Amino acid sequence: MALAARELAAAGVDRAAFEDFLIHEARLLDERRFRDWMALFADDGTYWVPAVPDQKSPFEEASLFYDDRELMKTRVERLEHPRIHVQTPPSRTAHIVGNVVVEEADAAKGEYVVGSTFIMVEYRDDAQRLFAGRQRHRLRRHGDTFRIVQKRVDLINCDGAFEAMAVPI
Amino acid sequence: MRNGHADEIGKLVEPGRVHRRVYTDPDLFELEMERIFGRAWLFVGHASQVPQPGDYITTELGRQPVIMVRHRDGSIQVLLNRCTHRGAKVVNERKGHAQRLTCCYHGWSFDTDGKLATVPVPEGCGEGFDKDALGLARAPRVGEYRGFVFASLAAKGPSFEDHIGPMKGNIDDLVDRAPDGELALDAGMHRYVYNGNWKLQVENVLDSYHVPFGHASTVNKQGVQFARREGDQKGATVVEAEKKQTAASWKDRKSFIAGNGHGWTSNTTLDDGKRSSPAFDDYKRVLAEKVGADRAAEILTPRLHNSLIYPNMSIMGLNIHVRVIKPLAVDRTEVNIYPIRLVGAPAAMNFGNIRLLNVTHSAASFVQTDDLESFVRAQKGLQSHLTDWVDISRGLGAEEPDRSINATRGLATHEMVVRAQYKAWVGYMSEAA
Repeated sequence: MALAARELAAAGVDRAAFEDFLIHEARLLDERRFRDWMALFADDGTYWVPAVPDQKSPFEEASLFYDDRELMKTRVERLEHPRIHVQTPPSRTAHIVGNVVVEEADAAKGEYVVGSTFIMVEYRDDAQRLFAGRQRHRLRRHGDTFRIVQKRVDLINCDGAFEAMAVPI
Repeated sequence: MRNGHADEIGKLVEPGRVHRRVYTDPDLFELEMERIFGRAWLFVGHASQVPQPGDYITTELGRQPVIMVRHRDGSIQVLLNRCTHRGAKVVNERKGHAQRLTCCYHGWSFDTDGKLATVPVPEGCGEGFDKDALGLARAPRVGEYRGFVFASLAAKGPSFEDHIGPMKGNIDDLVDRAPDGELALDAGMHRYVYNGNWKLQVENVLDSYHVPFGHASTVNKQGVQFARREGDQKGATVVEAEKKQTAASWKDRKSFIAGNGHGWTSNTTLDDGKRSSPAFDDYKRVLAEKVGADRAAEILTPRLHNSLIYPNMSIMGLNIHVRVIKPLAVDRTEVNIYPIRLVGAPAAMNFGNIRLLNVTHSAASFVQTDDLESFVRAQKGLQSHLTDWVDISRGLGAEEPDRSINATRGLATHEMVVRAQYKAWVGYMSEAA
């Protein structure tokens, strides 16, 4: 449930600041600045793409992605490797992030949950494909910006069969 | 080729090479669906997927839709998912629970053993209407070993025991790791597809030659792969970094064949003495309590990497999972990979196994994605008409018997296992149904 404007005001936060953050994050992915993207995550941050709708836990069922910072680092190092065949040629992506709502705000802890809808178009090796779904970012205030505590991406076709996916969504 | 005479089939496979048409010819694919997937023992599912009467999963054997369902008497039935009335697929969900299986089209309803139970507007049925003859078709033969359910769509052929016998030890190797001696395939599944022939995946599961090259992006500057088992601090050494060549320990690994196209590769050398984490240590303790310390140590000494039960399934001992290969077309294949829960193991150990399998085998994993790229490029390259033959000759003539386990042994970087698969392939394909 989205928080109303007056609830956001009471918590001392501005919806536009979260939207700007999500647009920035999407842009880092589209520009293949994977290290900068990883740096947006808190040290205890995780990136999760479930493999079934409404998946309750990343530990009890298979997921498309479930990276803590250590695995994220391995993933990013691989993306930078000259012989990553599945990125020869590399993917090009374009994200659109919209319908941004602040779902939870804990001003005392400085933690917020932001929901949004996204579309990512990916082109690689003569083929173009489409990813779409809802995402939820749990964010922690960090100076005048945020760190991602968890990014959860629920693809509408999460339980479908996928061709190889190399870049984060 | 439509007729598939034995002499024509035989010409496609020579001792160290196969003709590219086995990957690219749509007529040969049709023949494979009939002669291999239409009669071989195929892995269907695992008993733990249907624990209670009425529980079912749906899958495909070759291209034929089937339902694996637990009947009231406890038996597991493998039924063709095709209404005997006008042909509609009866069950559309991938898994679920039902007392009756009811067709969406005209409401014919079947019992969980396939018997036709009710037909709406029965007064319309003619006098000769024989309800007993109109049950869902059943796989003529079904076999089960330690929860692994296989079926053959042919009434006759080698027995389940003949087929699975040589691979029982490989299944035991996995099942025995569970403190309660049973597995549960109840932790979801990974699904991926690629534009390539099904045999490219089958051949790859026992291919140790490709790892330093195909998976170069997973190997660090020291030649070591990332840690991929619960309790490991690092992965296998696959490259000798200074010499920039495949590591001696990797080259030393063995592969084995034991008839019927089956095969396996020996374990990947890891620092097992140093394997430790709170989850792994706890698991080791629980296992030892159940089976004794000596037996636990034996179980936890890795013996196997991948095992192939030809033609459609493999099990992995490193990142434990069950893999099912589903041909969709001559140049399109789906693969399903099930994480495994070791029943009786501490939850944290199972969590670790499930979590690390995402990293190695999901559609977005570090390992599987480079294999998929190789399969897609193989399918593209094989369109070349000027080079008709695919070379599978590595280690030809270097095979040796391993009498201790009644198998034939070769080096894992050789291609003995692929040649064994084609021997089985010719066997199935040469014989008219």
